[in-house]
Amino acid sequence: MIKTKNGELKELYYPTISEITKIEKFTDKEKWFEIRLPNGDDLQHQPGQFVEVSLFGIGEAPISVTSSPTKKGAFELCVRETGMLTEVMHRMESGDKIGIRGPFGQGYDIDAMKGKDILIIGGGIGIVPLRSLINYVIDNRQDFGKLIICYGAKTPDELLYPEELKRWEKDDNIEFHLTVDQGDENWSGNVGVITTLIPGLKLDLKNTIAAVTGPPIMYKFVLLSLQSKGLPDENVYMSLERRMKCGVGKCGHCQINHSYVCQDGPVYHYPTLKTMEEAI
Amino acid sequence: MKGMFLSKESVVPFIEHLASQQKVFAPNKKVHGSITFEEVNDANDVVLNYARALLSVKKYFLPQRETLLKYKLDDNSFEKQEIEQVNAIFLGVHNYDLQAVLKLDYNFKNNNPEKNYLKRREGAVFVGISYEPDNFHFSQSVGIDPHNTNGFDLFLHKTEEGFVLEVLTKSGEKLLDGFGEISEFQGEYPRNENFNASLYAPQSKLKEVFANSYDNPIWKEMAEKCVGCGTCNLTCPTCFCFNVEDNVGITLKDGSRDRHLDGCMLRGFTEVAGGEIFRDELAGRMRHRIYRKFKYISDITGEPWCVGCGRCTIFCPAGISIVDIVNRLVSDYDKQQVLNEGQMTSVLD
Repeated sequence: MIKTKNGELKELYYPTISEITKIEKFTDKEKWFEIRLPNGDDLQHQPGQFVEVSLFGIGEAPISVTSSPTKKGAFELCVRETGMLTEVMHRMESGDKIGIRGPFGQGYDIDAMKGKDILIIGGGIGIVPLRSLINYVIDNRQDFGKLIICYGAKTPDELLYPEELKRWEKDDNIEFHLTVDQGDENWSGNVGVITTLIPGLKLDLKNTIAAVTGPPIMYKFVLLSLQSKGLPDENVYMSLERRMKCGVGKCGHCQINHSYVCQDGPVYHYPTLKTMEEAI
Repeated sequence: MKGMFLSKESVVPFIEHLASQQKVFAPNKKVHGSITFEEVNDANDVVLNYARALLSVKKYFLPQRETLLKYKLDDNSFEKQEIEQVNAIFLGVHNYDLQAVLKLDYNFKNNNPEKNYLKRREGAVFVGISYEPDNFHFSQSVGIDPHNTNGFDLFLHKTEEGFVLEVLTKSGEKLLDGFGEISEFQGEYPRNENFNASLYAPQSKLKEVFANSYDNPIWKEMAEKCVGCGTCNLTCPTCFCFNVEDNVGITLKDGSRDRHLDGCMLRGFTEVAGGEIFRDELAGRMRHRIYRKFKYISDITGEPWCVGCGRCTIFCPAGISIVDIVNRLVSDYDKQQVLNEGQMTSVLD
């Protein structure tokens, strides 16, 4: 018979009721939310982890944390309006209550990244989880080598974090490359898909760790470009999207082969991902 | 072996003795016209000679539906849900179904132990019974012989005259306190081990077979027949995947967050917001289900995650057989081995 150790077990499915403290609209589809846990507790997440956002009467959805753990007192999410829960979230206001479970999953392997040059490659909304890593590196600048950021969006209207992009652009400690698939009359920067940025990069191949996140279609082309550049696969980390319904490795929805994305991911080391069928 | 003997005439008094101590759930044909586990109200309704129950006893520990929490919409507050322990005797359980419960235990005990399941499971006592395999049982192929008593508190081995009652735990022994209609049994009882269906390979070999079967054409062939209804998931005693949904009450003031069992054969299982479905092809979903039973978890535990009950095959409206799929993979693998070793070359060379 089963005995539960030490009496009561940890509750897995109860959200912590938190408060939205700030909202900013980035684009027609994306909004940024600052969320405060009760008592201003820290979320205690790793860059790359996610939370389950819970709205009573609607349900729960997994959302990447976009702020760095170096930010104290509150954390941030950036949400595209794309399903039932996110549509409701987009109608919410500062001061509204929101349920949070988590953080869940594995984030970036910060220890493996320390002392290395960090190459960020973010396509579209893929920049959202990467921003937690970017800001972590910026706030712990002495622990890392170069910080190279490549960010691509479909059009200038779809670029996220407009104020921060300007700061990254100006920062002498950041090599920042921006591109859009299609420009407009005001756009004077790069035009082309994100892979067009890669051949021009000067990389210290052995000493560079790449963190890549974007739509599934982007991975194949970015990985090919990085490989032809000579970057070893061991130096690449990627983040996957799946239906992470429970976040605690129980419901089965996010499973890819042996792996539960909510437990072993969403950030994976590329050599691990290569051995998994149907992952990318 | 040493045990007790329970004559046919003493079976009903035995059930009544159990029911006088605790709630008893046992196979019954009256409620649904098909064998299902039900609470015993009349010992005469219990069916001990049966092939398999429609659903296994899993339904008591991992119900088809359960409420995780109840909330109020006006102030965003929620009420924690009390989980009721199932303090009951499960009588007449076939050992493949108990083995399936032990596999569910593994899932809910490890990596984030889940209170809901474990608390319900805690107070269960199991009285097993041997059975005669029909054309669809293949439990011996997955390591569960019909007299395997692992996990039971008491076990009834069927004989011509009644049952040899084996006492396996203290809780089992306690159930017999004050029951006089049993006698000492010394000797051997007949062991029925004749299975008509079987897998061609044990798990040790299946590990190798499944490592080489990902691209086998059978997935596409079976997908042509499969209708994607998820009945195999629904009836499987080791399937545990679930979905969670919020249901709002008719006053729109409160509601509940409920979970219900889900199935990886259903198309929307891997769907994410925005509409992307990561296993959109039936062939991929079928492979995932079979791989979950024989590889993904088995590679970690060394055991198959299928108990050979035959339900998915019997209830499949498209006539797909899990035994046929696995055996086809084994024989395709064997053929490939022979060709690879150069003992034979293709006639086309």
